[in-house]
Amino acid sequence: MRTEQKWMKLSLLSLAMVVILTACGGAKSGTGTEASTTSGDNVKITLLNSKSEINSQLEQAAKDFQTENPDISLEIIPVGSGQSPFEKASALYASGNPTTMMMLDTGDVEKFKDRVLDLTSEKWMKDAVENSTTATTFDGKNYAFPFSIEGYGFIYNQQVLDQAVGGTFDPNSVQTTDQLEDLFKKITAIGKSPLIVSPMDWSLGAHYLGLAYGGQSPDRAKVDQFITDLKAGKVDLASNAVFNGLMDTFDLMKSYNIDKASPLSGTYERGPEVLGKGEVGIWFQGNWAWPQIHSFDTANGKYGFLPVPVSNNAEDFGNTQISAAVSKRILIDKEKSTPAQQEAAKKFLDWMVYQDKGQDFLVNQASVIPAFSNITLEPADPLGKSIGEYIKAGKIEESMSTLPADHWSKLGASMQKYLADVIDRHGLAQEIQAYWTNVK
Amino acid sequence: MLTEKGLWTRLRTRLIFTGPTLLAFATVMIIPFLYGIYLTFTDWDGIAVTQNLVGWDNYIGVFKDTVFWKSFGMTLEYVFITVVLTNAVAFLLAYAVTRGMKAQGWFRAGFFLPNLVGGIVLGFIWQFIFNQVLVFAGQKMNLPLFGASWLADPDKAFWALVVVTVWQYAGYMMVIYIAGLMNVPKDVMEAASIDGASNRRMLARIVLPLMVPSFIVCIFLSLQRGFMVYDLNVSLTSGGPFKSTEMVSMHVYEQAFLARDYGLGQAEAFVLFILVATITLLQVYFSKKLEVEA
Repeated sequence: MRTEQKWMKLSLLSLAMVVILTACGGAKSGTGTEASTTSGDNVKITLLNSKSEINSQLEQAAKDFQTENPDISLEIIPVGSGQSPFEKASALYASGNPTTMMMLDTGDVEKFKDRVLDLTSEKWMKDAVENSTTATTFDGKNYAFPFSIEGYGFIYNQQVLDQAVGGTFDPNSVQTTDQLEDLFKKITAIGKSPLIVSPMDWSLGAHYLGLAYGGQSPDRAKVDQFITDLKAGKVDLASNAVFNGLMDTFDLMKSYNIDKASPLSGTYERGPEVLGKGEVGIWFQGNWAWPQIHSFDTANGKYGFLPVPVSNNAEDFGNTQISAAVSKRILIDKEKSTPAQQEAAKKFLDWMVYQDKGQDFLVNQASVIPAFSNITLEPADPLGKSIGEYIKAGKIEESMSTLPADHWSKLGASMQKYLADVIDRHGLAQEIQAYWTNVK
Repeated sequence: MLTEKGLWTRLRTRLIFTGPTLLAFATVMIIPFLYGIYLTFTDWDGIAVTQNLVGWDNYIGVFKDTVFWKSFGMTLEYVFITVVLTNAVAFLLAYAVTRGMKAQGWFRAGFFLPNLVGGIVLGFIWQFIFNQVLVFAGQKMNLPLFGASWLADPDKAFWALVVVTVWQYAGYMMVIYIAGLMNVPKDVMEAASIDGASNRRMLARIVLPLMVPSFIVCIFLSLQRGFMVYDLNVSLTSGGPFKSTEMVSMHVYEQAFLARDYGLGQAEAFVLFILVATITLLQVYFSKKLEVEA
């Protein structure tokens, strides 16, 4: 009897131990935010950063924010470059470990709306620029903080182009496909390569091909209708003027590409290097690339944007516009974050909009074009400045920020095939149409 | 051996010894697996708070997803090539480093080393080699084979994956083969050599038959690793150029997390599980029959 009791105790003990061990395993790990954070009145919050190019600037901002708010510690958690922020954020939710704040793309917000805070009554709402929160407002509630406006087009190196045209290059002189080709020829004439086409699927799929949708009409409702028609299979891309014009320009880019011999072997890192060093005159990319271009800069910081022409008529929509929109949004988790953490997160958002240090971080350090009208700091980087000028002149084409989640990957692959001459334009149009009719 | 009388005492004794392990096994293996199967019947997108049951829709979706079957076919090809090459290379390495040559311990460690590097890191290192080092060397030395990056060409990118896989796993399998070679009884070999058998004959008639258990293990491991390849796929080619090297695991992952169709992705994962389990079990079953006693 005695021995049996002993066994009983032992078994209970070992069971208890297993339970405790498994409980420990689940409670806290890595990016955990749900663990008790009140020790020493220090609130620990985390931010999932999906703009990997400003990670070090964000970490510095976190430190500055902490100096001003000693009771809050902010940790930046990066999303690997090439990984989608949605993927990372949903994986964190699935493991019960969401970050307090997450920076997502505009199209992701709707999926998360049941799990994040309603930010409609925040102070910065009244200072947000027009249309910056419409895409994240559902049933009259806005769920996201518009973090940055981004734009893209042809980035040019002023020094190379000055040399090519033999004087000061005027960006207004390129408004048609033919004028673009003239410019390419002039750059070739001075012994340089006209441009580099970076073959990343996100750049070709989400950005370049996105112009084919956004360029359909200045009226956003017509663009939405175009997408609806694509899904219904009612669009014949092969005969669509905007698509064809855009692909004509792409053909031109293909034949003047510095990497023409092996168009798919380029990497993102190669773009800023050859542009900054002045080996090419033009790179199709957006203002987010400034920090990398800056590190290779040989043109004394003189860069700007050219629109991507879609026809030979300068009056056509798209020939003088560049694509820009609010691209990144910050959401605040309401499921696992404590009220104290939520308050701290809101404080950080306010800090970026209203505090000098925060504004300085946004505009000067991270080269972000802020979506708030109260921020009067002029962007110091030439690309942000160039986009600001296009915005002021009203020459903006809405970016397609709400495309289906796998659009960039699937149609980016189709664009890569076209770039490498695996398919022709007819094949490309078919792949695009097939994608849209099957997408959920 | 259970000597206790009565159902309760027996059950209790069993629980004492197997209970903790069972609990752990159930919580981290069985329950997630069953929950995963449940998810295949829903239309969950990976983040929504609610899930709707959709019956067999996702399984029908798996059979309609031509890209899934295409990448499965390519994965089969990749598995076949890597299993053959990995094991051939591993066996030759093992044979070489058990011949009693100088510094063979160093060679063993050297060949095993690639296994200590994680797949992601390894992929990035080789990406650099394929994109920069080989291209540079190819252009300087006028080797057309390396003139352009292998990763920019669909066929060559596939072979790049094969090369790195073989390089990585051959050392691991080599260790298992070394153990097998060591276990071949010396007296049998000695008797054979006294009888005048040549080295090659001894290899074919004695060593290889006695090493069948090692082959079973190694082929099983390389089969399974080949089918499940993901980290290398992501870091070396990321499925490119234009999705031509997207192995089946990566496709499943993208279906679940990128296309935001978790139910379909999970169903594809489950179908993949059944296919791979069948193939590996068949392999083990049939090769068991080849085993001989010394």
